[in-house]
Amino acid sequence: MNLAIVLVVTAAAALVIILRLAVKQSLQVKESSGLSVTIRPIDVVAFRNLTNNAEDDYLRRRLPPGDFRQVRRERLRAMAAYIQTAAMNAAVLIRVGEAALATGDPRIAQAAGQLVNDALLLRRNTTLALARIYIALAWPNSSFVAVRVIDRYEQVSGSAMLLGRLQNPAAAVRLS
Amino acid sequence: MLACLGIFSWLQGLREKFPAFILFAFFSSAVQATLYVADITPWITAENFWRIFWGGLLIDGLLKIILIGEIFGNIFGSYPSVVHLGKTLISIVGATLLLSAVLGAAYAQKDNYHWLISGAHLLEQTIYLVECGLILFIFLFARYFKLSWGRASLGIALGLAVSACVHLGTWAVAANGGLLDKRYLLDFLNMATYHLCVLIWCYYLLVPQKEATKSAVPLPDNNLAIWNRELERLLQQ
Repeated sequence: MNLAIVLVVTAAAALVIILRLAVKQSLQVKESSGLSVTIRPIDVVAFRNLTNNAEDDYLRRRLPPGDFRQVRRERLRAMAAYIQTAAMNAAVLIRVGEAALATGDPRIAQAAGQLVNDALLLRRNTTLALARIYIALAWPNSSFVAVRVIDRYEQVSGSAMLLGRLQNPAAAVRLS
Repeated sequence: MLACLGIFSWLQGLREKFPAFILFAFFSSAVQATLYVADITPWITAENFWRIFWGGLLIDGLLKIILIGEIFGNIFGSYPSVVHLGKTLISIVGATLLLSAVLGAAYAQKDNYHWLISGAHLLEQTIYLVECGLILFIFLFARYFKLSWGRASLGIALGLAVSACVHLGTWAVAANGGLLDKRYLLDFLNMATYHLCVLIWCYYLLVPQKEATKSAVPLPDNNLAIWNRELERLLQQ
């Protein structure tokens, strides 16, 4: 009977989780009409500085090992904060893109599809990057590169700008 | 009821998007009707009844797995960036669940001396354990990526989830020899759940949806300005 009890508890827990997720999903669909886009800006230059290996090497040479580990951990925590913001922005862009997919204009739909795909990739990459950061926090001397997340973020920004221009041609988008 | 739902869904044009669901609806109703006839027909022996039960259960389990694949395809199929990752993860989750279910069945306390009966109960437990885990995975995966479901996909998945979770509980109790003298309670619960699931499917598939947002959500100008600024800075590097 022990196995039965374990399975009953597991089934009840799974049912509660699924019902909660289904309710959230329904609310998400209903709220999409009033979706307030809350994208938090990221200072990409500062983000790049944090992931710059040359800066890490410089700090490693200049600082005593104990101080270096402390500084490196601080930099990793800052990097994690940036990546979490990028992941949240990606989630918002997925919803924006999905809402735009429903419009009849094929050009907007294509741009929206591209945006959703890029944002999904970004969200996937941020998860991997965060896992690597948390591992690096345990071993601060290890080398770490998060450039792919930054590159992906820039690609998503490009897709979002394209979609924005198609949706609202009046808004001037200066590229140079 | 389920057969009627299958017919109405077919007439509403859902056969192109959810062929596995319609097949499942027709097959499941046919199995229930066959079992009822087999139960009341005097010349069908108890052994043959359980053989029919086994056959229906195996095909029903297979159809449910195909149906879960169909739901997965409808939600993630149009997004190549996550579909490969999703397929890999769902395969791993499925294999792990199957292994756990087989181990669970191997260590279960048999509730009947005849292997056809106890085996059928264990097979129910195994199928519902795998089904429950796979549906939970799809819900969590979609939630993580904040992907929205279509109304029909959500309804079918929700009905399957309620069915899988409740039936997992009841068949786990039955397969492990619980409530031997009050099995009718489990039967009532199973039947009530079955009807609830059919009602959920009817609501999501047949009741017209209130018009949701069809217009695009515009990107606000201030965010575009921020992106422009960042892009300009990148170009000037």
